[in-house]
Amino acid sequence: MTRRDRNLYLVMLAPAALVLLLLIAVPIGQSMILSFHRIIISLPQLKTPFVGLENYQELLRDPVARHSFWITAIFVGTTTFFELVIGLVLALLIHRRFPGRGALRACVLIPWAIPTVVSAQMWRFLFNDAYGMINYAVFGAETSHYIPWLALPPGALSAIIVADIWKTSSFAALLILAGLQVIPEDLYQAARVDGAGTWKCFWHITWPLIRPALLVALLFRTIDAFRVFDLAFVMTHGGPADATNVLQLYGYKKMFVEGWMGYGSAISVCIFVIVLILAIIYVLMVGRRLLEASL
Amino acid sequence: MAIKRILTSTIIILGIAFLVCLTTQFSQAGEPKTIVFLTWKPNQPEVWERLIQRFHQKNPGIRIQLQVGPHSSTEYHAIVTQRLKNKDASVDVFFMDVIWPPEFANAGWALDLASRFTVQEQKKFLAGPIAANTYLGKIYGVPCYLGAGLFYYRKDLLDKYDFKPPRSWMEMLTHGQAILEREAAPGLYIYSAQFKQYEGLVCNMLEFIWSHGGVVLDPQKGRVLLSEPPAIQAIAFVCDQIIGKAAPRGAINYEEPESLELFIQGRAVFHRNWPYAWAAANDPEHSKIAGKIGVGALPAFPGHSSASTLGGWQFGISQWSKHPEEAWQFIQFMTSYESQKVLALGAGLAPTRTLVYCDAEVRKKMPHLNAFLPAFERARPRPLSPVYPMISQELQRFFSQAIVESPCDLSGLADATSARIEKLVRLGAMIRP
Repeated sequence: MTRRDRNLYLVMLAPAALVLLLLIAVPIGQSMILSFHRIIISLPQLKTPFVGLENYQELLRDPVARHSFWITAIFVGTTTFFELVIGLVLALLIHRRFPGRGALRACVLIPWAIPTVVSAQMWRFLFNDAYGMINYAVFGAETSHYIPWLALPPGALSAIIVADIWKTSSFAALLILAGLQVIPEDLYQAARVDGAGTWKCFWHITWPLIRPALLVALLFRTIDAFRVFDLAFVMTHGGPADATNVLQLYGYKKMFVEGWMGYGSAISVCIFVIVLILAIIYVLMVGRRLLEASL
Repeated sequence: MAIKRILTSTIIILGIAFLVCLTTQFSQAGEPKTIVFLTWKPNQPEVWERLIQRFHQKNPGIRIQLQVGPHSSTEYHAIVTQRLKNKDASVDVFFMDVIWPPEFANAGWALDLASRFTVQEQKKFLAGPIAANTYLGKIYGVPCYLGAGLFYYRKDLLDKYDFKPPRSWMEMLTHGQAILEREAAPGLYIYSAQFKQYEGLVCNMLEFIWSHGGVVLDPQKGRVLLSEPPAIQAIAFVCDQIIGKAAPRGAINYEEPESLELFIQGRAVFHRNWPYAWAAANDPEHSKIAGKIGVGALPAFPGHSSASTLGGWQFGISQWSKHPEEAWQFIQFMTSYESQKVLALGAGLAPTRTLVYCDAEVRKKMPHLNAFLPAFERARPRPLSPVYPMISQELQRFFSQAIVESPCDLSGLADATSARIEKLVRLGAMIRP
């Protein structure tokens, strides 16, 4: 690569870098700057003094924020686990050759294609205590046994977890399916010739070779789950008793409902940092695995 | 070649842009001024459309552009405050919930209407909403319609068992229990109201606290009185007797629509809601109990008087509006005697002008309005504070915890919440002149 080539590459890269900078770095930087100030929209007389780390100190002491963090962690852990398991099963199923495979593959993606707000509204109706289909499916006409899912703290959290698993398992399946498709068919044929059964094929060929794809899916799902907002917003609004008050929703309420811009920004920045750390860990892992896989 | 092509296309694009500019410039001269009215989706949009059309006919020089936000007050608040905070000049008139004027006034978003909305004119309105629109002696909104917590009941069921509408909460429980036992209808509840963790929860709980002689905030001293016996006992009553007993446990996730649904499906004997519910519950197309309901003031605890939370919506003018005069014309039209009558007859919205209650046609077609009036006159505003949204979030958290985690250490929770709210009140008081 000559010096001239390098310069040309840099010039070619500049527009993309500029767009990224504008769309990503600027808003994040703005949030960080806001988080170091005390800004209360409804009290402009207080001005917007620089308060250093005050918002972050407050955040560490805030029991509601701590509660929200654990709620979010539970949400991320359970949804990611189940989505990967279900996604893997789905991917293995739609990877097989059978009539109507194309149509079925498209169908699997439907939940993922529905806007979250719409599916959240749908699940809210399904979980309704008096008219919801879920109560009807479980208890039939025995109305006295109906469970008010969204009125019970564990029930409400489970409800948004179920809604998220339903919605995004297919996304995980899509990523894993991509991993399945790059496995050469020869490997299986060779294994069969050597007398390997289905289970042995899966364990010695499929599993090691789709691990990079699984890690990519894990990366995407964890990061995405950490930013959950719309499901809780539509289905429960954080209630009952803060049982579904996930971090993003808490930050949103602080910022846009209470007008506490600095504090809300501090929450956003914390979410950003958590997600960033997770992403770095995963990328390091995925990067290494991908390297091993290609060798 | 390529350069030539680029040049030609640039010239063509510039030419088109120039033409577009030219036509809009010309058309603006003779075209009406556009007033943007930011509001939320009303229950009877066709009535509002009709009023706006009538305004267009009377004022050909002004066009109203509706911008419709979310139905939930809290969500709509987030949108309005964002746009006003950003000094968005494209909003002229906005619809304000009854709890916002102190906040909007203090932030400098709402125009002071004192010169246009004279004291003489203010006297033609009910006192409660005028008080709610006044902050530090200036007025920031014109009340459009009024709301207050009302007590709906199944008149047919009460008559059937020879009961009078209950005056106290205990009476409501005993009457309700008797009706439930004798009706033996599965899935029938005594009471239906709003207990989801949102603004409506605060309204419902304040009514219980007020009707037990309690208050949440002492405005003079800035003290929070949540832990005092009147308040604590009223909250304990809701936890022990209402949630999961008189009302379904599912009410913990009910907003107005869900709670009304239960009532109009004939599955609750008593129901607390705003005035709009009257028209909805009497609509035979959607309601199974049309024509079978009565309405009045909410019950109280023995020895105390009934109290309702003041609700309702006002028109305000944005500080950043470029057409405040036209905006005022629109507001004047929308809050006129005639318009309030249309909104009352068409959409069941309770007028804020006292004279409309005496109107012969209104009296004839809406005899229930007179049953609303005692509750309206006793309606109390929620704590008037520029930091009310913050106070409300704390109250919502506290009330929701109390009813969900019951039985729990109510006084401990109340003390902790009071301390946090007092901190917020001090924040708001710091800026008092």
